[in-house]
Amino acid sequence: MKTLASILALALAWVAHAASPQDILIASDAVRNPDHPFGLTNTLIEYRQGKQTDSSTLAIYSKADPRGGQFRSLVRYVAPARDANKLILYNGKDLWFFDPASQASIRLSPQQRLLGQASNGDAVTVNFAKDYRAVTAKEEETLDGERKLRRTIRLGLEAATPDAHYHRIEMWVDAASNRPVKARFFTESDKLLKTAYYRRYQKVFGVERPTETVIIDGLQPDWVTVMRYSDWVEREVSEAWLQRDYLPRFRPE
Amino acid sequence: MSGQPVRRFLFAVLAGLTFAARADDADALRLADEAPEAVVRAGDWRSFAEVTLGAARRRGDGSMRHERRLSLDVRYDHAFADGWRLVFADRLDASWPAPRGDDRAINTVKEAYLSRRLARDTLVDFGRVNVRHGAAIGYNPTDYFRRGALRSVVSIDPATLKENRQGSVLLRGQRLWQGGSLTALFSPRLARQPGRDGFSLDWGATNDSNRLLVVLTQRIDTLSPQFLFYGEEGRAAQLGINLSGLVNDATVAYVEWSGGRGPSQFAAVLRRADAGDWRNRLAGGLAYTTTNKLSLTAELHYDGAALDDDAWRALRRGPPVLYGLYRQWVWTAQELPTRQALFFRAAWPDAPIPRLDLAAMLNVDLTDSSRRAWLEARYRADRIDYALQWQRNSGGSLSNHGAVPESACWQFAVRFYF
Repeated sequence: MKTLASILALALAWVAHAASPQDILIASDAVRNPDHPFGLTNTLIEYRQGKQTDSSTLAIYSKADPRGGQFRSLVRYVAPARDANKLILYNGKDLWFFDPASQASIRLSPQQRLLGQASNGDAVTVNFAKDYRAVTAKEEETLDGERKLRRTIRLGLEAATPDAHYHRIEMWVDAASNRPVKARFFTESDKLLKTAYYRRYQKVFGVERPTETVIIDGLQPDWVTVMRYSDWVEREVSEAWLQRDYLPRFRPE
Repeated sequence: MSGQPVRRFLFAVLAGLTFAARADDADALRLADEAPEAVVRAGDWRSFAEVTLGAARRRGDGSMRHERRLSLDVRYDHAFADGWRLVFADRLDASWPAPRGDDRAINTVKEAYLSRRLARDTLVDFGRVNVRHGAAIGYNPTDYFRRGALRSVVSIDPATLKENRQGSVLLRGQRLWQGGSLTALFSPRLARQPGRDGFSLDWGATNDSNRLLVVLTQRIDTLSPQFLFYGEEGRAAQLGINLSGLVNDATVAYVEWSGGRGPSQFAAVLRRADAGDWRNRLAGGLAYTTTNKLSLTAELHYDGAALDDDAWRALRRGPPVLYGLYRQWVWTAQELPTRQALFFRAAWPDAPIPRLDLAAMLNVDLTDSSRRAWLEARYRADRIDYALQWQRNSGGSLSNHGAVPESACWQFAVRFYF
């Protein structure tokens, strides 16, 4: 049995090795993201200098675009109380904010961050393979989110579409399972924007997926955001809902 | 220095940096280990109580008027049965001293309506709804249901003005499809005059004539133009367009236009027969956000039905009663008193420390050069907001902003969410 497991592990490693960098990136996306429309709750907790400074809770519905493959998301604030029931639509660079109290729909620019350190793309589901091209792959040992040494493949990603939010990404993917381990995001001037660790793997929709992302600021490493995903559920999301005129109607169940 | 020590030195520096990075990451991951596990569940209520203390300096004698206010704002949004939804929003403002000519306590039933999903993408609403359209911040020509909607004004911040207002009773249907929607609504006349009582449902303020609105939205690439057709009993139809788009990743450009035949605002005040020329109203702007979250907005406002330079000058020199009637009409209709204005807004969340939001606003009347400036610092604690606001109105006698009885005012507000 042990021998069989070793052979299987070796075979998996060989397959992973044989796959192109882009194939590994696609496989890594599939670990993070379900292949059907779904809903979840994202709890964001922000720390500065070791102390919790903010938190918010979002109810999110996501569905991949049948044409491009990128996810579109409807987001409703659950907490804090001052923001409860405010809504955001993420559809590539088509971003809309809606406040039910004022009935105001406002177009946002991708640079407008509504969630502290987390960018708009961090808070919702993203298929990296749709907006980035993996150009390099190098085997390397690295510390994972549980602070354990892990054999990984370091992918070098370059922005491939105008919708890409980052100029360049370094992504570490488990060499055996294609699980994303961590990523570093860089600006056009090659400054480190942030580091993200994907961790707390749990079985979701039959696959072990990360249920927590820890984001560490590139300039201020003591600025940390923990994003925890819960209440995953398969949801029907009509294509007609993914527009700003539906925002006043959106109520996650 | 030979090559070997330099390489050693560089290696040591690199190793030190790597170790520091790993230590930072490990610290962050340890913090995440201890992050609370509790998940907040969505609720149907969003409510707050607000207490304010303020003072206003009167123009002329410079005397100070002290003001206090207690407000209660509730919003209930409940889904029930299969496809039904009930929305109720109400606000009570109690002020000391009472606002000029009004009751001390003013209650506004902002919204009270039932919504029913007839099919997955077809919905109807019935009741009092705050219908609002428009792409701009400071002036919204396509916000056709704004007339008479302000019952109690506690701040000149456009966001607050849009939030603290009374909706209109109507029947509305909406059909959505991929990338677009069609909305049609009818709002009937329920009374002819606004009510003066503080607890009045005030049907006459926002349901004083039969009105119709049809809105078509269709996404075209990243643009989502919105086309509006507005009809009102006794008035020519008005057409409107809202359009916004990205200039780049940091900049949004938008334009909002409404046009149609109708009387000038001055003729409307006098209820005078007017030729009913075609008149345009327009608001256009740019919103730019820096990498550190500072948002800067600039808008140009144009109201083709407002008084031009000469007419405005003449009105200011004319009978005070006429001037007062015009200002009152403009205020109720939420129109511009003069043809052109500029609007600037800056908002900087989490600056200079986390949870402290700074905002500034400037209105400039391009006809009489009067100005209104507004500043706010707001600290967001867990359930409480502390806000300090300051406002200054400046300009010549009976100018747009110079005619405001208070030359400056400040207000300290504590808002508790529950």
